[in-house]
Amino acid sequence: MAIVIDKSQRWRLLAAHAFLILLCALVIFPLVMVVSISLRPGNFATGTLIPETISLEHWRFALGIPSPGPDGQMIKPDLPVLLWLWNSVKVATISATLALFLSTTAAYAFARMKFVGKKAALLGLMLMQMFPTVLALIAIHAIFSRIGHVFPLFGVDSHWALVLAYSGGIALHIWTIKGFYETIPAEIEEAATVDGATPWQAFWRVLLPMALPILMVIFLLAFIGAIIEYPQASILLRSQDKLTLAAGMKQFLYPQKYLWGDFAAAAILSGLPISIVFILAQRWMISGLTSGANKG
Amino acid sequence: MANLQLKALRKSFGDVEILHGIELEIQDGEFIVFVGPSGCGKSTLLRCIAGLEEITSGELFIGGQPMNEVPPSKRGIAMVFQSYALYPHMTVAENMAFGLKLAGVSKTESTAAVLRAAQILQIEPLLDRRPKALSGGQRQRVAIGRAIVRKPGVFLFDEPLSNLDAGLRVQMRVELTRLHKDLATTMVYVTHDQVEAMTLANRIVVINQGRIEQVGAPLELYHHPANRFVAGFIGSPKMNFLPCALVSATEAGARVRLEDGTVLSAGADARGLAEGTPLTLGIRPERLLADMVMGEGTAKTSVIVAEHLGDTVFLYVQSPGGTGQLTVKAQPENPLRTGDETHLHFPAKHCLLFGPDDQTLPRLS
Repeated sequence: MAIVIDKSQRWRLLAAHAFLILLCALVIFPLVMVVSISLRPGNFATGTLIPETISLEHWRFALGIPSPGPDGQMIKPDLPVLLWLWNSVKVATISATLALFLSTTAAYAFARMKFVGKKAALLGLMLMQMFPTVLALIAIHAIFSRIGHVFPLFGVDSHWALVLAYSGGIALHIWTIKGFYETIPAEIEEAATVDGATPWQAFWRVLLPMALPILMVIFLLAFIGAIIEYPQASILLRSQDKLTLAAGMKQFLYPQKYLWGDFAAAAILSGLPISIVFILAQRWMISGLTSGANKG
Repeated sequence: MANLQLKALRKSFGDVEILHGIELEIQDGEFIVFVGPSGCGKSTLLRCIAGLEEITSGELFIGGQPMNEVPPSKRGIAMVFQSYALYPHMTVAENMAFGLKLAGVSKTESTAAVLRAAQILQIEPLLDRRPKALSGGQRQRVAIGRAIVRKPGVFLFDEPLSNLDAGLRVQMRVELTRLHKDLATTMVYVTHDQVEAMTLANRIVVINQGRIEQVGAPLELYHHPANRFVAGFIGSPKMNFLPCALVSATEAGARVRLEDGTVLSAGADARGLAEGTPLTLGIRPERLLADMVMGEGTAKTSVIVAEHLGDTVFLYVQSPGGTGQLTVKAQPENPLRTGDETHLHFPAKHCLLFGPDDQTLPRLS
């Protein structure tokens, strides 16, 4: 088992470990910093990494728990952070599900079907994704404002408008899933076709179960993308109670007052749904689902 | 139970024509093997029969019904793929029952059908396993089982044994023959391995460059190949070919001159061809004799390598007057060794002659 190792290897091993530990520290530092800020009394961005006194004032604020004011009266926090979080989760879940549905089916068509203009369409999708959405912000606002005149449900200041906007950005997902489909031998679907499956049944009952890991990855990516997205949410949502967490948190920071502590607590909150979805999705992100289909 | 008819069947991919008008009739219950080199179109032909490829022109009948426009699942066929193509997320039993489930067959009925197929293939202990947990040979059986369960009129096999190791291949070959006897269903089998073709087939269809070269029983193809391609493709080791020129042709046979000047006779009818016409002489390794002594119509040459296999000796000898080499399959007692000089003897009745168009000249014996 153990391979004979040269003595110089030990130093290299040590150096490698030192480098990795340093790298980990570098990556973890901002996170520790944010946790520290959220537990520090007052709103200061700088200070010791481990707070001298721990205060839960920012967490009370973020979680909407009333805290005693200067005159001893209980004051309810003025910003609905938990509602924003709920809005974020709602929009992200629906748009990620929709994006997953659209991208799996579109990728299937691109990977397995023959049609005119396939190459151009694929390339076009890719090219359009190259431009940052920010460039199209004004257009997006104009489009949804116009849609709102006909279908108020999808107009500006509606979650559905945001869902629709997020579900559109799937070019990259289509490319990713298409690449995965192409690693699955077409013979398996042909076998299903001979067995009497319609194209939809071959897709749904044979191909999709094998593609589960990549579907989970795409769902996760779409979910994270929607949770952290700021520009579109900030122009499509207006009312206080409709904002997503990413858009709402802007209100903690304005030139007269930087509520760093509250901001940090809310930022950690926004990471929670992502972590939960990741832990749930991980169960299906396993390799080797297609093994055994072929000679192996 | 079904017969097949292929009428002037053509298949093109874009501008490239792969199959150039295939005419073939396959009887009900026959075991037909399509054999040919890679890229000859044999798999494409099978996929056209299965309905996985559209037929460009021509007609296909299965059981007397025109099938050109019928989807694969309604053709009454079942196919075993080269890569097995099992559904990896289903158990063996689910794999086999998938087709019946789609067809809306009741659970009890499909379970019974799966059990019956599993018994035939002796895979009952594997029914609850996933394909991942099976060996190559077991996967192959499951793939065949999935085909049996559908009770097709025609079985289609696309090089099903090419992924197995040599020993398992021989075993599965025997089982396929047994299966064909038990089921008595039409089977169409594609392979590039002429040994599989010889051992399995009732009739072999030799395909080359999208055309049928010859159709016939295995031994008929072996002894009476229609042309040089079939002669060279069927048989292992390959038939020896020597360029030669016609000296004279009578009703008793033809006399030809080899490149080294040796004149010998062959039992073929070359009348009608002009003297001096370039021909090819073909003789199977087991018919070509390598002797120590000279005789009438022998050609002198030397042994390049002698391979002893125990029961036989393969002598690779220099082609007389040429640069190529010939193979002689000799008895183990043959004393010739690497580097020895030898005299090749060509028995006239085992010599085939191929004309300038590579077609076999009629045999006299």
